[in-house]
Amino acid sequence: MSVAEAITAPRPRSFLEALAPGGKRAFFVLVIIAVCLLFAFPVLWLVLTSLRPGYAVYYVHRGTDFTIENFFEVLSQEIVVKAIFNSFVISTLATVLSLGITVTSGYMLSRFRGPIPSTWFGLIYVFRCVPYVSWVLPLYFVTQSVGIFDTYWGLLLPHVAVHICFFSWIMKGFFDGIDPSMEYAAMIDGCSRWGAFWRVALPAAVPGMTALAILCWLYTWNEFLFALILTAQNTPILTVVMAQFVHELGMEWHLMSATAVIALGPALIVTIFGQKYVIRGLKV
Amino acid sequence: MAEVILSKVRKSYGKVLAVKDFSLDIADQEFVVLVGPSGCGKSTTLRMIAGLEEITSGTISIGNRVVNDLQPKDRDIAMVFQNYALYQHMTVYDNLAFGLRNRGTPESEIAEAIKHAAKVLSIEALLDRRPRQLSGGQQQRVALGRCIVRNPKVFLFDEPLSNLDAQLRAQMRLELKELRQRVPTTSIFVTHDQVEAMTLGDRIVVMKDGLVQQVGTPLELYRRPINQFVASFIGSPSMNFFEMRVSGEGDKITLKGDGLSLSLPPARFPGLARNGSDKVTVGVRPQHLRLGRAENDDQVGFSGTLMVTEQLGDEQLLAIRIGGNDVRVAGVDPELALATGSTIEVATQMDNLHIFDGTSGSALR
Repeated sequence: MSVAEAITAPRPRSFLEALAPGGKRAFFVLVIIAVCLLFAFPVLWLVLTSLRPGYAVYYVHRGTDFTIENFFEVLSQEIVVKAIFNSFVISTLATVLSLGITVTSGYMLSRFRGPIPSTWFGLIYVFRCVPYVSWVLPLYFVTQSVGIFDTYWGLLLPHVAVHICFFSWIMKGFFDGIDPSMEYAAMIDGCSRWGAFWRVALPAAVPGMTALAILCWLYTWNEFLFALILTAQNTPILTVVMAQFVHELGMEWHLMSATAVIALGPALIVTIFGQKYVIRGLKV
Repeated sequence: MAEVILSKVRKSYGKVLAVKDFSLDIADQEFVVLVGPSGCGKSTTLRMIAGLEEITSGTISIGNRVVNDLQPKDRDIAMVFQNYALYQHMTVYDNLAFGLRNRGTPESEIAEAIKHAAKVLSIEALLDRRPRQLSGGQQQRVALGRCIVRNPKVFLFDEPLSNLDAQLRAQMRLELKELRQRVPTTSIFVTHDQVEAMTLGDRIVVMKDGLVQQVGTPLELYRRPINQFVASFIGSPSMNFFEMRVSGEGDKITLKGDGLSLSLPPARFPGLARNGSDKVTVGVRPQHLRLGRAENDDQVGFSGTLMVTEQLGDEQLLAIRIGGNDVRVAGVDPELALATGSTIEVATQMDNLHIFDGTSGSALR
């Protein structure tokens, strides 16, 4: 190839550059649809399975029978209803208790310096470094010895402890983003230090607290490991009950899926309404 | 009456001394400006007066009452912050009412006070809005209004104009001066901007490294700076300095520096004559230099190479290199065409020279 040819020869173009303007757009749309399907497929399959009779679960080609009987069947089981109730109560209580402690803890970490905040920060850091799963066995023995195994408290307190460790940092981040001058102004305007926190900093942190509340609630609602180890017959929890549809006589996928779809409901509602806040919370 | 008296106030953070023995008497209705570079301790001093920072030692009195151990809310002060510090979740009206409500003022009186303050600051139309719906200037007015409605003994301002753009800052400076005439309350204003300090203050306190350098009226500070730091900090463009060596020749004191030499009569510079040091720094303000040669014995002149000209419309600023010194000249005729690289002669009255000790930086008078 001569020099002139080398100069005039078109540069090799990338795949995206080679596409026509419309084609590039279509390509991106297809990619986005593919990614969405990838994430949505398990959920769609779950919903589909929950609507299929037991005999048709394994093979798509076994007719087009659909039924909502599965939902009636799981809801007719006392343990499922009790588990939904327990999960709801524990999620809500864990959220309220965690929020109360996490907000003050996050505020302290954000605004104060000294040995107490430093020690607290160090403790949280250490707890966060320990793998989640390694807490379960010690917690099992502790709840047994204290006599709160398989009770609300036995599950609630570990959850609150975990939330405090995980979410104090998030809350600190939120308070870091709030100008402390507002609190100083409030203190000059007649508030005590506590009053400035309560009346000025806290209202300003409502978006953060909402995000935190949603994350706390969803976390507890979906949690499986603690629920499996720290509860038994007296305090059935939805995630554990769901797993118990796999038993020695076989796997009742249709019932498990129906229970999972029921469990999805509240989580979906919370997520849809709190999406904006959750994203903000995750960004911190 | 609300005098503010600071007596040997000291603040240390561990081993770091942020404010060293700050003493100042501020008269009732006086407007005092604390000015200095970042980290000089001016904001810390203000926060100690507000009660937001504990003092390590010393005494602070407001209106004949020692307030060292009083909470900020009990000191009867109001403060405007750099970033306004408005309560974002409240309307402007509630922001203004917050302090009065905390003190149990009846709603009718609150409404009256807010109406008055809103009128003074022209924010009547903004009362139902939230802070985030306001511009920077409007937020600043609301922050001022929050102070006015309280009718406190002392106003504290912590760099309140720093977040505004240059045009708005100039406008707010004027508004603050007007406001002061209408609401003559003792005020302490912190800024790093010497223009704000000069234009607003009855007296200015120049600080550096936690120490008060000089206290005086704007003109005193401009005309008779106590040391080289004050001379360089006050005035814009900053004062020109030349490091020079002293030698006595006959009845004159001769100063020799890099690229220039001055011959001064000892009678006009007694401080220089008394000073034993052979090293001094000579300062002259850019505004006090004019183009041309020295015309009589009262003037001194020197020449240098023109490096840069800056056209400001009503004047030109010149940068001249004299030996190793870059010298600024202000107030040059804007129509005058000057070629960079050419030799320029400048002169000034001898009275405009400031002589500082070469080691300590103290003014030699």
